[in-house]
Amino acid sequence: MSQNIIEIEQLTKVFYTDEIETHALSGVHLTIGRGEYVAMSGPSGCGKSTLLSIVGLLDTPTSGRYTLNGKEVANLNFSDRSRIRNQEIGFIFQSFNLIGDLTVAENVELPLTYRSGMPASERKKKVQEALERVNMAHRMRHYPAQLSGGQQQREAVARALAGSPSILLADEPTGNLDSKNGEAVMKLLQELHAEGSTICMVTHDPRFAAHAERQIHLFDGKVVAEGEMTQLLAEV
Amino acid sequence: MNALIQDVRYAVRQLLRGPGFAITVIVTLALGIGANSAIFTIFDQVMLRTLPVQKPKELVRFEWTGAYSGSASSFGGDTGNYFSWPMYKDLRDRNTVFAGILAADRSSVGISWHDQAENKDAELVSGNYFDVLGLRPALGRLMTVSDDTAKDANPVAVLSYDYWKTRFTAAPDVAGKTLLINGHPFTILGVAPEGFHSAIGGYTPGVFLPVSMSDIAMPWTAPRKDLTNHQSIWLTLVARLKPGVTAQQAETTMEPLWYALRAQELTGYRTVSERFKDKFLNHTHLFVKDDSTGFNPERQDLRMPLLVLMGMVGVLAAMCAVNVATLLLLRAAGRVREISMRYALGAARSRIVRQLLVEGAVLGVCGAIAGVVLSPLIASVLVRIISNVGDQDQTPYTASVDLRVLGFTLLLSVAVTLAFSVAPALQFIRPRLAESLRQSSGTASKRSQLFRKIAVGFQIALTVLLLGGAGLFLRTLSNLRGQALGFQTAHVLSWQVDPTLAGYGDDRTAQVEMNVLDEVRAIPGVLQASGTTDPEIAGNQNGSNFTVQGHVAPEEEDMNFEIPCITPGYFATLRQPLLAGREFTAADVKGAPRVAVVNLTFAKRFYGTPQNALGRLIAEGGGSDVKLDTTIVGVVGDVKHQNLRDTPRGTVYRPYLQQTLPGGMELYALTDQSPETVESMIRERIHRLDSKLVVYQMRTLDEQMDISLANERALAFLAMSFSLLALLMTAVGLYGVLAYATAQRTREIGVRMALGAQRSAVVMLVLREMALTAVIGVAVALPAAFAISRLLTSQLYGVQPGDPLTLAACVGVSAVMVVLAAAIPARRAASVDPMLALRSE
Ligand SMILES: Nc1ncnc2c1ncn2[C@@H]1O[C@H](COP(=O)(O)OP(=O)(O)OP(=O)(O)O)[C@@H](O)[C@H]1O
Ligand SMILES: [Mg+2]
Repeated sequence: MSQNIIEIEQLTKVFYTDEIETHALSGVHLTIGRGEYVAMSGPSGCGKSTLLSIVGLLDTPTSGRYTLNGKEVANLNFSDRSRIRNQEIGFIFQSFNLIGDLTVAENVELPLTYRSGMPASERKKKVQEALERVNMAHRMRHYPAQLSGGQQQREAVARALAGSPSILLADEPTGNLDSKNGEAVMKLLQELHAEGSTICMVTHDPRFAAHAERQIHLFDGKVVAEGEMTQLLAEV
Repeated sequence: MNALIQDVRYAVRQLLRGPGFAITVIVTLALGIGANSAIFTIFDQVMLRTLPVQKPKELVRFEWTGAYSGSASSFGGDTGNYFSWPMYKDLRDRNTVFAGILAADRSSVGISWHDQAENKDAELVSGNYFDVLGLRPALGRLMTVSDDTAKDANPVAVLSYDYWKTRFTAAPDVAGKTLLINGHPFTILGVAPEGFHSAIGGYTPGVFLPVSMSDIAMPWTAPRKDLTNHQSIWLTLVARLKPGVTAQQAETTMEPLWYALRAQELTGYRTVSERFKDKFLNHTHLFVKDDSTGFNPERQDLRMPLLVLMGMVGVLAAMCAVNVATLLLLRAAGRVREISMRYALGAARSRIVRQLLVEGAVLGVCGAIAGVVLSPLIASVLVRIISNVGDQDQTPYTASVDLRVLGFTLLLSVAVTLAFSVAPALQFIRPRLAESLRQSSGTASKRSQLFRKIAVGFQIALTVLLLGGAGLFLRTLSNLRGQALGFQTAHVLSWQVDPTLAGYGDDRTAQVEMNVLDEVRAIPGVLQASGTTDPEIAGNQNGSNFTVQGHVAPEEEDMNFEIPCITPGYFATLRQPLLAGREFTAADVKGAPRVAVVNLTFAKRFYGTPQNALGRLIAEGGGSDVKLDTTIVGVVGDVKHQNLRDTPRGTVYRPYLQQTLPGGMELYALTDQSPETVESMIRERIHRLDSKLVVYQMRTLDEQMDISLANERALAFLAMSFSLLALLMTAVGLYGVLAYATAQRTREIGVRMALGAQRSAVVMLVLREMALTAVIGVAVALPAAFAISRLLTSQLYGVQPGDPLTLAACVGVSAVMVVLAAAIPARRAASVDPMLALRSE
């Protein structure tokens, strides 16, 4: 098995809407190695979320190669993508996206229920571990609406962890949090990284980006070097 | 006031903004309310409306129970509703509690006016008829006691208002003129008041004739000597209570008189066993019953079907209210934020609730108006089916909306509107502002979700219930239609001619009928033609007592048998199997030895086998001095005679040509192609025979079968329509709820997909919610359907209430409906883009 979890070559994504073509990504090269913690940043509209969604198999690229864990995944059908997403990817969203009707424990269990053949006892065990990992085990029977924003995002992290994915993808995980809660979530991610998790995070905040061991800059649908980035930004 | 107008204006604007929603609600209401007013229109006329006479609440009717022997002629209901003329006179003259008692019978007669003859319903009435009812003439004068004095002495007639309007073009000088009744001149006395049809509910005679003229009006009854015969019962009696007397008091007071009259009557019987005597005298009772709505034998038959239909449309109204409430709630839920904002901006609660109620009221008014417009359309279907008997213009029922129906509709609409507009208003009486403003839009409140589920479950349950009923009626109809009748209806045409209308005397009727049959037989394509005095599946029952040689019958044994008089070839025409012996031939005429053909039931009862019956002697009438003058020459299979639910009754067929004054016949022709093709040919031939002969009631036996099944058809058709309507309503409600829920949960669905949910899992998510509701709904409905269907037993035929096959089919249909209604929301859920999860709100 390759050391790289993610290998992306010459990836493009074009959105066609009402005769307008939006080239959201134009030839992205990206590799993420096992255990790496990568932060992705760039100006609004540069294609960060688009790239993340393709990495997370929520969307398919217009062209290019994408190998996840050594397997070509760029052109899988919906059903296969769902399955791989469920097993290999853990998502952390800006707006938490917890399901209001389900308890904390049920939310965390949710991705496991989409995995066929996992017995209920094992699911319970994994839920328990994940919630303990984020210090939310005592809130298991609460509903999301009864939690603070920071707690909700910790619960969301637990949900992403529960299925033991190959990589955690986070799109502005602190975007809806105040700085104190934001710090706490960043600290949690750092701990997870220290324990061996692979993380790819999109963030605007340079302070948080500094937590990562590698930073990627996106500009106008392309990955650019840091120096180049400063220059480009100055030009705008 | 101004504020209200403003509210209405705002409500209308709100509704116009979503015309699809408004139209859905208004159509739902229109169908629900329209169906209710339609059924009520008929229900009211058949069941509730009192006779248009003076103080109808004072009218009562007599009914008796007890042993009886003699001839009974009825136009419906059981013999206990009918009395002999002598008994009538005794009751009338010897009571102390009634202001008056009238007697009446129905018959149809030939009426000639200005040389134009037609067959028309008539009512034979006692002279005091109009007096007792307290009616005033529209023209001329009405009949009085002095117009009904002695047998054949009073050739006078009163016209009904409608008949005067149509047939006599409302001529103002009609009183004193002469018309012909069955060829005999009668003087027109005057015209009955407008709106009055008959003391017999649901009957619309053209003329009223004195009972004393019954031999002319009904010549075939002449041998019965009805005016002096205690043992011939044929009249229905209506009495007016003296002021202050109740029906119960009257019944008690009449008791001694009734026993005295019975004892007196028994002295006229020839031979009586002690047992019969005891039963006749001691086990008898005279009932005095309310008759404010008029005695209507059809009411007995229509009562249950109409009650069932009223129940069904009642359920439909409830469903309608729940359905619209659900739709309004969904809409209101979409406006939670808007309304919460209004509250937040300081709007008074009363203001907001009123606004919601006004919106409901606007919908309710539109729905009610549309319902009233729709009502006559639905009612006319019912009127058309149930008054299939007789001509269209004779139907006593109308489909049009009157004040009573309007009142009913108004009440119903208010109730329904209140029911459906209160639900959404309640939701906003105690708004959970903080929650609804803070809540992420991804989830709906649990409470309103629960209400929606209960509402949908309720609708599914009621739909299964309605479908269950409709299914049973449909099976009943198909069982009745599909069963063996004992004869074949296919390719048989039936009709009547009335020779008396063409001026033939009663003594020539038989010859004319035979000539007509000869003409018809000569038509190419006609295989057989014959006639009977006792038409099949036309509701006729026409019996007489018989003596069977070698069989000593105690008085109480039922020796009354059906007595059709038929022409040669009758069994061949109807393809009724001959089991032994022979059919009648042209040789079986007056003067030849008297012969009879009996049916299987008769043969088995007295002789064991058909073969054994041949050559045996019987005689009409009873007593020791009866002359056994009739030989059985043939045995035929049993038939459904009176109607399709008939159980076979002993029957003695006799040759038409062997009777004195046998009267008119129902004629049948068996054709080799579809019988309609020879219709015009038959009319033409009969016209050629004598242009004055009028052919009427020409129809195929299959059509006759439809007529006989009118109530069953009406019930099955309307019940099915209402059930399908309910099904549609439920589907709309279910679709609305699911579509809304899916839209509300779009983000949640996106998140689930992002977490790896397959499309099938998402579809299941949408379906599971309603599947459980549906299962609970069905689980509640099935025992209820089982219990309620027992009430329908009397309406069913060949199928048990709670028939598992029918119920299973209903559940199946409902399940298909649930799946279809859920299909679009489920598809929409499956096509949610998981990318949604990445977008922040
Ligand atoms: N579904 C879509 N259809 C059309 N255009 C899209 C779609 N999704 C994204 N885009 C466009 O693609 C470009 C990249 O969008 P993306 O959401 O990836 O930006 P981003 O870097 O995440 O921005 P932000 O920092 O504001 O979140 C934008 O120009 C956006 O308008
Ligand atoms: Mg983004």
